[in-house]
Amino acid sequence: MLRHGRHLRRTPGKGPPVNVELTGIHRSFGKNKAVDGVSLELDTGVFGLLGPNGAGKTSLLRMLATVLPPSSGEIRLLERDPRHPAARREIRRRLGYLPQNLGYYPSFTVVEFIEYFALLKEMPSAAVPKAVAVAVERVDLGAKAKAKLRTLSGGMLRRVGIAQAIVNDPDLLLLDEPTAGLDPEQRVQFRALLRSLGEAATVIVSTHLVEDVGAACTEVALMSAGEVVFRGTPGELTARGAGHGVGDAPLERGYSAVLSAARS
Amino acid sequence: MDDDELIAALAAGDDTALRELFTRHAPWLAARLRAALPAPDVEDVLQETFLAVWQGARGYRPRGTPRAWIWVIARNQAALLLRRRGPATAPLEEAPPSGLDPADAAIARAGLTAALDGPEGRVLRLMYVEDRPAAEVAALLGVPAGTVKSRAHRARRRLRAVLGGTE
Amino acid sequence: MIFPNEPGLPVSAHDSPDGVDLGRVWTSVATEVWRRHPGWLERTAARVLRSPGLARALVTAPSLLLPWLISTVVVFGAGALITLGPGQPAVWLVAPAVAAVGIAFSYGPGIDPAWELSSSCAVSDRMVLLTRAVAVFALNAVLGLLASVASGAAAALTFGWLLPMTAVSALALAAAVAARSAVVGAGAGVAAWVITVLASQTVSGQLTASVTNAHAYLPYLAVAACCATAVIYAVRPERGLQ
Repeated sequence: MLRHGRHLRRTPGKGPPVNVELTGIHRSFGKNKAVDGVSLELDTGVFGLLGPNGAGKTSLLRMLATVLPPSSGEIRLLERDPRHPAARREIRRRLGYLPQNLGYYPSFTVVEFIEYFALLKEMPSAAVPKAVAVAVERVDLGAKAKAKLRTLSGGMLRRVGIAQAIVNDPDLLLLDEPTAGLDPEQRVQFRALLRSLGEAATVIVSTHLVEDVGAACTEVALMSAGEVVFRGTPGELTARGAGHGVGDAPLERGYSAVLSAARS
Repeated sequence: MDDDELIAALAAGDDTALRELFTRHAPWLAARLRAALPAPDVEDVLQETFLAVWQGARGYRPRGTPRAWIWVIARNQAALLLRRRGPATAPLEEAPPSGLDPADAAIARAGLTAALDGPEGRVLRLMYVEDRPAAEVAALLGVPAGTVKSRAHRARRRLRAVLGGTE
Repeated sequence: MIFPNEPGLPVSAHDSPDGVDLGRVWTSVATEVWRRHPGWLERTAARVLRSPGLARALVTAPSLLLPWLISTVVVFGAGALITLGPGQPAVWLVAPAVAAVGIAFSYGPGIDPAWELSSSCAVSDRMVLLTRAVAVFALNAVLGLLASVASGAAAALTFGWLLPMTAVSALALAAAVAARSAVVGAGAGVAAWVITVLASQTVSGQLTASVTNAHAYLPYLAVAACCATAVIYAVRPERGLQ
């Protein structure tokens, strides 16, 4: 059962405000339609964005991060229109973003890197040192706080990326493949972190690792070829896989079932 | 690394040594201070203590044991705090009357009954703050005595969990 | 929620007696121990630029090694262009464009590893670029001044190119901060450079005809507009698909 560009129900019970409103979003790069008609409304909670590589997840996330404007459609973030510079600046102050390929500055220390982006996000400078310390401890890099980034492993660098995304206590947190390089135990703890962040903010996690998000997300959307082909709870996705899907785990089976239906 | 080595590393600017010292010494320092000060003050004193350790590491000479050195710093910071606050706090009065079991003492000292709402909180307040016997509480609330006893037991268990006491 | 660490959390919940939150204590201690104390240059820059973020971008420009090296090479290359062709006004106008585009690319989407993240921050990425351009020219001007003591060629490069460009880019940054727009700043910088070139050319007598002939201004302005367009194009957000 395909669902094309459905305007979907809000996540229940958390009350106003609606942090993300997308209506008929399209984005093309030349002839390539990266995002082909997506509409979403989200308030607080953890929202998973699943799909294979090339499905349009990163483009969607980049539009939410105000890095990329849509080719057509309406976006409202944190009840503001990102097309206006002053509103965009205000959105960005309350935004946290971890891009898929975050590079780092090798000569910076962990604390310096996080602090630099805290300042670029225009956090009041008196509040920055405490916020940086809290973020460093939340991703468990306290023992490496003054280590230079060039001495860190890939998983640690990813955690630095997560720390800079959460340092300003964002209302909208966008994480693109955040668990790359984390070992299984760290992934478990990362899901716990997601749950606590989702209590007060809208957290959108984009990943192609299905089981990563299953436990932490209140809702998931599955993208294929630029469209949202499924939206619902992880339980509903699992149910779609009953008897049809391929995979070792229930969520994976639901994922593959929906994808193969979308492709046919 | 032993404490002397850690302090030497600290003097050289290694902040991970401070982290290790904190892990080792903050819990027992907190317990000792807690016997005399309320929890928020203990936190302030500990913060000032470890910052003083960080800054004073260069001047440390292995005269006594590191534990004693840190305790002296903590005690001085506590004295500074009390001097700043004035004589208003009287920590000794918070010491529990003897003979009560640890959970009841915790209730009396911390005054946490307000934190527990609902039927269990009511039972706690009536039995321990207003010091009524179980039978009277049962009559007041209109429930069997057994219910009163089990609610009190549940409430004490919750309090123990909240306060992190060992049993 | 806190991750369990490899070396172990400073303290766990069961170590904390009676309402004392040792995790919170450690965070307060760590805040002070890890705090960075900015130097006088950064503090002054933060006041002048009205942004601690821009001040930090200015001061850290040299520590991004690869972008720094590339932009320095481009700047010196453009300076060499000028010294090789002193009589040709087109070179004088193209050289800053080359330098500006070089800086924009080296600190921009191509080579700055955290460019994508910077573009999502509240401080405008173009303002950051402009700030870094000032850093590149200023530091290289200082180096050039030191080298001028020993070498005449270095003196020519420093006084004929590096110092003027430092002044022009600083003017551009000041205008950008005042108008809160990097585009306005770039325009002001370009205008200042064009005026400088025309003024110096008329003083040396080589282009007296152009001062009196109004039509000759158009190619200069066209070239200047191309410089500005090139920089803005270099930092457009569409770079990098999916």
